[in-house]
Amino acid sequence: MNLPELKTPLWGDDIPYVAGLREKAGRILHHSGFPSAKTEAWKYAHFDISSLSALQINTDVHHCDHDNCTCHRQPLPFSCYRLEFCDGQFLADHSDTIPGVYVKPLIEALFDGETKTYLNKSFPIEKYPFAALNTLYLEQGFMMIIERNTVLDQPIYISYHQSKSGYLNNMHNLILCESGSQAAIIEHFHCERANNYCNNIVNEIKLSAAAKLTHYVFENESVQSHHIELNSIRQKENSSYQAFCLKKSGGFSRHESLLRLEQKEARAEVNGIYRVNGSSVSDITTDIYHLAPETFSDQLVKGVATDHGKAVFQGKIHIAPNAQKTEGHQTHHALLLSDTAEIDSKPELEIFADDVKCSHGSSCGDLDPEQLFYMQTRGFSQDDARNILIQAHLNEVLEKINHPLIKEWLKDQFF
Amino acid sequence: MSEYLLEIKNLRARVAEKEIIKDLSLKIRKGEVHALMGPNGAGKSTLSYVLAGKSDYEITSGSILFDGHDLLAMSPEERSCNGLFLSMQHPVAIPGVTTANFLKHSVNAHRKFNGEPDLDAAEFLKLMRQESQKLNIPSEMLKRELNVGFSGGEKKRLEILQMSLLKPSLAILDEADSGLDIDALNMVADGVNQLHNEHNSLLIITHHIDLLNRIRPDFVHIYADGHIVRTGDKSLAAEIERNGYQNYLKGE
Repeated sequence: MNLPELKTPLWGDDIPYVAGLREKAGRILHHSGFPSAKTEAWKYAHFDISSLSALQINTDVHHCDHDNCTCHRQPLPFSCYRLEFCDGQFLADHSDTIPGVYVKPLIEALFDGETKTYLNKSFPIEKYPFAALNTLYLEQGFMMIIERNTVLDQPIYISYHQSKSGYLNNMHNLILCESGSQAAIIEHFHCERANNYCNNIVNEIKLSAAAKLTHYVFENESVQSHHIELNSIRQKENSSYQAFCLKKSGGFSRHESLLRLEQKEARAEVNGIYRVNGSSVSDITTDIYHLAPETFSDQLVKGVATDHGKAVFQGKIHIAPNAQKTEGHQTHHALLLSDTAEIDSKPELEIFADDVKCSHGSSCGDLDPEQLFYMQTRGFSQDDARNILIQAHLNEVLEKINHPLIKEWLKDQFF
Repeated sequence: MSEYLLEIKNLRARVAEKEIIKDLSLKIRKGEVHALMGPNGAGKSTLSYVLAGKSDYEITSGSILFDGHDLLAMSPEERSCNGLFLSMQHPVAIPGVTTANFLKHSVNAHRKFNGEPDLDAAEFLKLMRQESQKLNIPSEMLKRELNVGFSGGEKKRLEILQMSLLKPSLAILDEADSGLDIDALNMVADGVNQLHNEHNSLLIITHHIDLLNRIRPDFVHIYADGHIVRTGDKSLAAEIERNGYQNYLKGE
């Protein structure tokens, strides 16, 4: 594939550090290329790279007439601090200031040299071609510092709205949770039209000692969209990260998480639900590295595949030799509700320590005919019974959400 | 109007290649209580499933009229909404669906079928509380997921609660007494007796006379090898209790 041409120079090309990052990313892409059907990590959900060839980078000044566009300040049933993206651009002017949280557009942070310690430091970029693509066009995104011991009274809601077709949006966020801080972040990707675009997101998240972060990613993308997201998380002692990846709709979506539990008593929970119908593709790929003793991870992913939908679950738990007294659990349950849908599941454990508790399980099947029959004998129509059972299946994940209003909002959105 | 609420004529049914119901005929009038007793494996539960409309069974011949209508032409939900209720021997658990929510859906599905507006949450809660108190069902149980972790007695009481909410014209109680202690048995029997009147009928499938001492049947049928081998009054149940089924299986 030919990379989109940079017709307009990006901000920061004159900063040697930024230019260097972009140049290195270009070299990696040139050398390794994009994943093909033969690339193990991508073989089940193959990404047709030619679908990007018609897209371009949005380098204009923001022009969706944001004050009038439908995405702006959509009412939400919970109070929150808002950050706004539209068509791939971070709109600092439309975003709230958050007490105890430092937020700066990425390009400004790049100018000021604040990102050097963090940017592309949390994952091996050679293994992530789309993160390399993201870096090649590095410009949009933000740097966020949730300051030491800040306990946010309401969640940070980040709206990623797409108003137009034709853009490849590369967004890179650095989220630093300083020690003792507590916060929740909701990333909401939405598009009310059948736009054709690609969101290519990299979130690098660092949790310092005893920091807590709940991270919701709610994908309600267009059926023609591509969504590629890498969440790279590093956790220090006694920190706690809880993630929910919630895929309601989209075209092609790959949600990848790389977690490194670097110090003892770091805890991570990575949950997800997906619905694939039509010809949509969902891939949830997770690598969790237990690198220190007494670390804990748990994963629950549930999904439903209908029509020609295709879903991929790949989850790997790695336990380093010194990570004794560690626990890692992983569960994936999917409903496969049509003959033409497909689900590929690849759970893996890689354990180099001997005093650990690990489990993984994956199942895939139809709705339980005994449950359906029971409900019908109580007057439920077959369609109602099926819908209620599908909801019940997915609800197990949503029920893990602690914030009651966010939970209700997501249930309303999903069902 | 038909004289009979339920009229089964020469019914034959099989699952896979095995014939389980073999030339069964049974007629139940409005207001009557019938008991069906029989040895294990006689096909009693199969009959209850066939009546409720489970698709695993193939009807090879015969007919079933329910209130004069062809029952076999109806889907399970149509049978339910038309007034047939099956209290199952082994009610399934449905994780992720609370009992109260399930009951509300069920009641409103029936109301919709009858052209009545849905009950709102407050109206339903009032109705549910009123009926559940009669069966000594604590509201805590109604907040739990349907039948998840319920004891045998709780499951059976919940079946009877559903019966009391849906007010069927024909209730089939498939071993509603199995696994119950004496208190739970009394609660189930009291619940059923409160609901029974001259407008509705009961078909009680049981192994034990205990339940029939509490819910008095008008007819007792002995069901063996797929059909009824003997019909009598309540004294037949007592005889079975004393002598077992052997006398009725001879010559089969």
